[in-house]
Amino acid sequence: MERLLGGDERAFEEAVADMYPTMLAVARGYVRNRTVAEEVVQEAWVAVLKGLERFEGRSTFRTWVLAIVANIARTRAVREARSLPFSSFEIEDGEPAVEPERFREAGQPYAGGWKSFPTDWRTLPESRLLASETFDLVGRAIEELPDAQRTVITLRDVTGCSAEEVCETLGISEGNQRVLLHRARARVRTQLERHLDA
Amino acid sequence: MPESRRDFVDGYACREVVELATEYLEGAMTPQQMTRFELHLNLCDGCFTFVEQVRATAGMARSLSEDEIPEETKVKLLEAFRGWRNE
Amino acid sequence: MKAYKCLTSDGFGVFSRFAWPLPDGEPGAWVESEVATCRSGIHACRSLDLPFWLTPALYEIELDGPVDEQAMKLVAPRGRLLRRIDAWNEESRLAYAQMCIARAGELAADASPRIAAWAPTPEQQLGGAAQLGFMTAQVAELLGGPDAYLEERRRQSEWLVEHLALA
Repeated sequence: MERLLGGDERAFEEAVADMYPTMLAVARGYVRNRTVAEEVVQEAWVAVLKGLERFEGRSTFRTWVLAIVANIARTRAVREARSLPFSSFEIEDGEPAVEPERFREAGQPYAGGWKSFPTDWRTLPESRLLASETFDLVGRAIEELPDAQRTVITLRDVTGCSAEEVCETLGISEGNQRVLLHRARARVRTQLERHLDA
Repeated sequence: MPESRRDFVDGYACREVVELATEYLEGAMTPQQMTRFELHLNLCDGCFTFVEQVRATAGMARSLSEDEIPEETKVKLLEAFRGWRNE
Repeated sequence: MKAYKCLTSDGFGVFSRFAWPLPDGEPGAWVESEVATCRSGIHACRSLDLPFWLTPALYEIELDGPVDEQAMKLVAPRGRLLRRIDAWNEESRLAYAQMCIARAGELAADASPRIAAWAPTPEQQLGGAAQLGFMTAQVAELLGGPDAYLEERRRQSEWLVEHLALA
């Protein structure tokens, strides 16, 4: 950070490269449109540079930057509200991780148990599991998630943010974050399962 | 040994276990919950496999991380940086 | 206190996936809990806990530091594997399975079909030891309540202690 203050261009390029995927993911949590999100990230960097001297280090540099992205994105989202729905991170009621039909009914032996077990993916040929087609599917499945779920799984699993970082940036509780992550992973897993079982 | 069945242990149904998978993987369970959960996984191949699948799903997502910044964005940002530096 | 560690057949922790240093004439290297897993500590079990955690590979483990005795397991900051319990092998696993199946059959002899459905069948004797033990104990519980469940588990533990010469 000191290097940035010193006008070190290389440091800036490194910071941008390091944080870009995460910043973009945060922005897209509020403004789905990729182009608009990229603009938000650019605006955020301008705001970061302007505020650099006043950064007090009460949070980490990273968290501070992500908070700026979130703020700008939220403002932008409100402005664009006519055309895009505002992203909400509120939890809605029950979305089961697995279709209820996969489990036995009450009153049967093994009630609540699996009717048939999921497949152990390690038994699949590696070429199948690691095919680019499979990764494409995961990417698509994530893209198709509801905004809040997509944002959390992207930040946590794709860009590798910590739970704390995500909670602080999005202004949500740990429990809330976990439910979103759970549902997101569950949906993607279901898609993967359908693809690999086919 | 637990004093009573109520302390117990392999009492989760699979339907419940799948809802707890992320909590488990995040390390967000109490020690007792974790014991109950693992006892279930130890005797239920279906749930063990399911948790492995969730792990694998998260792992595959990791490989999606794009490192490419659009060239145009890089240029704009560098301009912004130079502009700021020269003020 | 004698403690036991159940690992996968190739020496990995079932949940931690940690590759345990295996004993080879001599005890395996000490493992500190930070190294082993990001979860809390080295996990092990007492002979009474064994039926719940059984896997294909059973080891005797020495724990070091304050041992936290929880309801179903022991947790300590350090541990090392002392020896593989060779008596727990394909043959004894089969014998245990047959014992569980026989016990379940005995318990379920006069039981309703609903309860008898829980009893493992001879075809399942190649299934996991933990599963079979559970199914048998479940029959016991359906017939005699939670105490019967625990009693059945105690029996299973005693069978293991005797047949594997763990005492």
